[in-house]
Amino acid sequence: MPVWLREHSWRQTATAVYLSLPLRGARATPANIFCSEQYLKVSIPPFLFEAVLYAPIDDTNSTAKIGNGNIFFTLYKKEPSMWDSLTLANADKEKLQSLRENAVLKAQEKAKEETEAKKITKQEHKKYALEATMKVEEAERKRIEDMKEKERQKVTKELELWKNQQKDGDKYKSIQKKGELHKEIEPLKERKNETTTKTRIPNEGTSKTRLKSTKGSCSMFSQNLKEEQLPAPRAAATIKVNFTPRVFPTALRESRIAEEEEWLHKQAEARRIINSDLSELEDLKEEEKNPDWLKDKGNKMFAMGDYLGAVNAYNLAVRLNNALPLLYLNRAACHLKLRNLHKAIEDSSKALELLIPPVPDNEKARVKAHVRRGTAFCQLELYTEGLRDYEAALKIDPRNKNIEKDAEKIRHLIQGTMQCS
Amino acid sequence: MSAALGPERPQVVSHVQQALSYTVFDCKWVPRSARLLCLGSAARGTGIVQLYELHGARLELLREIEKPKPIKCGTFGATSLQQRYLATGDFDGNLNIWNLEAPEIPVYSVKGHKEIINSIDGVGGLGIGEGAPEIVTGSRDGTVKVWDPRQRDIPVANMEPVQGESKRDCWTVAFGNAYNQEERVVCAGYDNGDIKLFDLKTMSLRWETNIKNGVCSVEFDRKDINMNKLVATSLEGKFHVFDMRTQHPTKGFASVSEKAQKSTIWQVRHLPQNRDIFMTSGGSGSLHLWKYEYPAQRSKKDSEGCEMGVAGSVSLLQNVTLSTQPISSLDWSPDKKGLCVCGAFDQTVRVLIVTKLNKV
Repeated sequence: MPVWLREHSWRQTATAVYLSLPLRGARATPANIFCSEQYLKVSIPPFLFEAVLYAPIDDTNSTAKIGNGNIFFTLYKKEPSMWDSLTLANADKEKLQSLRENAVLKAQEKAKEETEAKKITKQEHKKYALEATMKVEEAERKRIEDMKEKERQKVTKELELWKNQQKDGDKYKSIQKKGELHKEIEPLKERKNETTTKTRIPNEGTSKTRLKSTKGSCSMFSQNLKEEQLPAPRAAATIKVNFTPRVFPTALRESRIAEEEEWLHKQAEARRIINSDLSELEDLKEEEKNPDWLKDKGNKMFAMGDYLGAVNAYNLAVRLNNALPLLYLNRAACHLKLRNLHKAIEDSSKALELLIPPVPDNEKARVKAHVRRGTAFCQLELYTEGLRDYEAALKIDPRNKNIEKDAEKIRHLIQGTMQCS
Repeated sequence: MSAALGPERPQVVSHVQQALSYTVFDCKWVPRSARLLCLGSAARGTGIVQLYELHGARLELLREIEKPKPIKCGTFGATSLQQRYLATGDFDGNLNIWNLEAPEIPVYSVKGHKEIINSIDGVGGLGIGEGAPEIVTGSRDGTVKVWDPRQRDIPVANMEPVQGESKRDCWTVAFGNAYNQEERVVCAGYDNGDIKLFDLKTMSLRWETNIKNGVCSVEFDRKDINMNKLVATSLEGKFHVFDMRTQHPTKGFASVSEKAQKSTIWQVRHLPQNRDIFMTSGGSGSLHLWKYEYPAQRSKKDSEGCEMGVAGSVSLLQNVTLSTQPISSLDWSPDKKGLCVCGAFDQTVRVLIVTKLNKV
């Protein structure tokens, strides 16, 4: 049960009510005071003071001063009139309740309106600030643009002037040239007179070009005189050149050096690995123990159509050296021809594993691996996987038309099956 | 490392932009005129030469010449000022010299290389330098050949790989040191990072080095003086400036290198009117203007008493991004300071003006 504060005192004028409320030792903050048009409440637990005012007040302008152990309210009346008492006399509980609720609602609405108004003013301020900054920036930009324009125009004018100078110079030179050409045309004219009936050269312009194209070296005449002053052409000679060695055919880039080194290292390693723990190997001839020779043999058999033989050759090579990606790649091709599709996929995957890191050097090999694996997937009717591989191949080599066509075909197939099912 | 010149920095102003219907590989000013040439490859696989004239704020097409093979590079370096013949290298390895007034038949033609001619340079013409006019071509077949337009079919110098050696692509060539009638050097850059300097007077290799990245472009600051500086640009956004005045017997030439950007630096071109200013064009479509500052002493003695060069420093004057595609070719006008043309792989050619170069 709250403790009611009833020792308030008040006085009034025509327009205002002054209310003094001693607090009995409690500390008050603005949050404890609640005031609406006709309802005033001070709640400092456990103390409580409330008053339903006699007449409405202007609660926005009214003030409360907290200090010296009491709160001093200055409430401005809405209508100037003298109040009989501070609170409404016959206030029964229900009326009080409803009044309180109304007061609270009203206060809430007011609070909402206030926040709305604040938001709107804030937005407007922001907009204004933005516009101001935009104007300033615009002005700055315009200034710079104008400066640039001025420069441009100045420079353009200079250029025109210079160009006209050039033109005049050229005209002068072409007149000179024409003069020279006249002198050359004379002897030629005489020669022509003997062969043709035309005695008049119609147009200097066309004659110039005609003469030039038939003779081919009209103005070379003037050059011949000058040639005496130039040294004779150099005696032909060859200088032999050595290049800094580089394995890759692509240009050298510093940022790629690390990757390329890694790839070369791997290749070198792979060539050196020889798994020579198989006793059957002792039966084989020397050359048959060389994985490269076996690879070549396999390639030859593949070319001739002996796919089983090629697979055998590759198998032996792989037993000897299981880190050469090309062996797996070629074996995958054989398996494709033999329709051992799962084996083809396995081998292509193994080849791709060995072809890391991806450098431009092993581009071709990687494209082949992807294409072979893709073909195997498609023949197994796993079209989505196949398409994935074809797209990977296209990414490496976007210009290959065959791969593009095949990828398109697969896409159509996939769409076709999806529509049916 | 940008020079703190504030508002006095040179500005790169884009004067004209021209969209082309073909890929432009090289663009060159026609000497003593306000005309420029664009060389390239049309979509149908033929070569295009277009001659434009600068008219106010636009380029007017004067001539268009179509050739059977796409053209990669061209130069006016070896012709006289009156003739102004254009020497071109095309995708098939043919070197041709054309008279632009009568371009149906070349004045000189030779199938110089087995593969595309990547780069071409000329010296001895245009009133610059002394000695016979010569053209050098560098090709993907790994050889660098020097031609004299007066001698048909056979190059006057051939720098080819030793028998049995695998070839590297030659990406760029440049002439230098042509200060009298006998002296001449050719510098060649290859895709494996090699830079080789060939002396044509003694027909020998004078110096070589490797800059660890494929060499996209080399240029001497002047062709017609005693070798002063050489700039070599490469992949990975680096370029090196070599001081060519002092050659150490083992260490070669001193150099300073700078990493300008992340992408390839396609071209370097020195300003004809000031040999310490050069512009590099990048794979990200940007142009950087640099200034080289000489050190207090250009050479010093090393521990054994041999003369050794000292490289200076390079500072960035300005940079600008014009395009999203690489700017593959760049040429300063020899007649108007600050006027330059650049061609990019977005099929546009741009005429630019660099201002305030007098104050640098």
